[in-house]
Amino acid sequence: MEMTRTLVIGYGNLDRQDDGVAHAIVGALRRRLGQAPLEEGETGLERLEGQADSILVLQLTPELLDVALRYDQLVFVDAHVQPDADEVHCTPVEAEYASAAFTHHMTPAMFLALLQALHQHRPAGHTVSVRGHSFDFERTLSPDTQASVQPALDKILALLAEAPVNTGRDEICTQEA
Amino acid sequence: MAAQKITIEPVTRIEGHARVTIHLDDNGQVERTYLHVDEFRGVEKFSEGRPYFEMTQITQRICGICPVSHHLAAAKAADAVAGVKPPRPAALLRELLHMGQVVQSHGMHFFHLAAPDLIFGFDADPAQRNVFGIIEANPQLALKAVNLRRYGQQIIERLGGKRVHPNFAVAGGVNAPLSVTDREVMASERETMIGYVQEAIAIAKDLLGADPQTTEHFASFPSSYMGLVDHEGGLQLYDGQIRVKDADGQQVAQFQPSAYKDYVAEHVEPWSFLKFPYYRDLGWPQGTYRVGPLGRLNVADKIGTPLANDELRLFRRLNGGKPVEGSLYYHYARLIEILYALERIGQLLDDPDILSKDVRTHPPTELVGHGVGVIEAPRGTLFHEYWTDEDGLLTRVNLIVATGNNNWAMNTAAGLVAKEYVDGTRMTEGMLNRVEAAIRCYDPCLSCATHALGQMPLQVELVAADGRVLDRVRR
Repeated sequence: MEMTRTLVIGYGNLDRQDDGVAHAIVGALRRRLGQAPLEEGETGLERLEGQADSILVLQLTPELLDVALRYDQLVFVDAHVQPDADEVHCTPVEAEYASAAFTHHMTPAMFLALLQALHQHRPAGHTVSVRGHSFDFERTLSPDTQASVQPALDKILALLAEAPVNTGRDEICTQEA
Repeated sequence: MAAQKITIEPVTRIEGHARVTIHLDDNGQVERTYLHVDEFRGVEKFSEGRPYFEMTQITQRICGICPVSHHLAAAKAADAVAGVKPPRPAALLRELLHMGQVVQSHGMHFFHLAAPDLIFGFDADPAQRNVFGIIEANPQLALKAVNLRRYGQQIIERLGGKRVHPNFAVAGGVNAPLSVTDREVMASERETMIGYVQEAIAIAKDLLGADPQTTEHFASFPSSYMGLVDHEGGLQLYDGQIRVKDADGQQVAQFQPSAYKDYVAEHVEPWSFLKFPYYRDLGWPQGTYRVGPLGRLNVADKIGTPLANDELRLFRRLNGGKPVEGSLYYHYARLIEILYALERIGQLLDDPDILSKDVRTHPPTELVGHGVGVIEAPRGTLFHEYWTDEDGLLTRVNLIVATGNNNWAMNTAAGLVAKEYVDGTRMTEGMLNRVEAAIRCYDPCLSCATHALGQMPLQVELVAADGRVLDRVRR
């Protein structure tokens, strides 16, 4: 059986405190997988060759669609600000257009929808988002958000362990962090 | 019937917080409309105490929409702080990077944000009136749009590295010359991209021409205009002098960017963190101006590339040679600028100096200690001004960003459209979309537009259900 290839896409602003939580999570993931760490400013886009790859970007952009074409599963890692959501919110994401009034940014659902509409590619998608508590101009995560890095990593590792695509992931993402 | 307000809150966390509030009177008619910018961002305070040369990296982290513009404005300000002039090849390479940004940013805006309104109409079902509607209607056009953006982005990546933010421009120049291979790759697809943009221009002109009444009158209003021009009065996006024209198209000022404070002042309103810049000599609000593609084409005498200049001639005819006022024409102007950027990329790649290895003048140990860097970001004129101590540590930073320069214009555009199209007694999605579309013309980016920690007033109102203001706190 062909193995599932997964791309973990961490995004957010490292300089805006908890907005940069994906950097900490992707860093921890790479350490756990024995992969070379990403130096500051590196995206990881030049070293994509494994079964489980990871990248860091400021935001989702259309250029990443070409990269995503090579993968069966995409895991989007970001901060969230939903007070009614879990500290670590893990959920399957479906391709869906979300109307953007002004923004140049894309949501994971829209990213998947573009993959589908432009390239007829339908990878499984999940978001693993960690609640951000503070978005000041600094690089140290707030204690509450820092405490969620390991649980978020555990969620991602569970998603990586699942194969092939489209089996069992809902259970992973509905467990409490 | 008590006064009501309708609020549109569409802006995401990372791109800044803003609200459009439409206030209705007792009869349900629009009384006043505001574009509120609710969150301030303290990049200027954050930067103080840091070495001036770090600003090329720090400021581009303000947002993910136009990092290259901040990167280059910061480099130009750093040049001035250090008192160095980059060698000509470095200036060419910086401009090449900038053209890549213009292509990808303008391309993204037109196809993703502007085209759905133009193709499907303001009243179309939102489920159709989006980029996926375009993919369904014209999949080849959508792929061309993605390729156009990719082309601009790969110029940035080849010069600045495949990094979260480009690491290219430094005080005194750039940190690497252009390779022959990269030059060839950039040149190879350029003609194809020009064809894509010409196709988009033809589509845009057809769409704008299909409903001339709306195109002419939608968010159309007189204003002054501002933009960089070269020494012949031609369109400039990287370097030049700042020109201001009034509503009749008469030039009222042209000045060196370093003197901007003699010409530009900022007005503060209690309901927005975003200031309102205006041309000082005409005063507030008579001196309010517009920047960005429409502003730039309205102040430029010509464009220094043939295909874009031909389009500029057609653009000029829209209002008999006077400034074009309709906000929807921003979309046409934006496409003309993509065409210019692609042609300019060709000129730059053909320049004999483009492969030179003389790409940096190293700063002296003794600094000037103060500098201004100005560039035409995709959204408009972007000002960076730095002050340092004798060790080069920043003591003060002032930024006026493009979206700030268009703050008055966006409020005016939204207000005009709301008054004309919004009927509070029978609201429709299309009405609200028109208000958003008026602001969309200006392609605002609010993540960098909200700054100056502690310098702007915050007004909090406690409003009863019947509309009475019960309490007001200003801090």
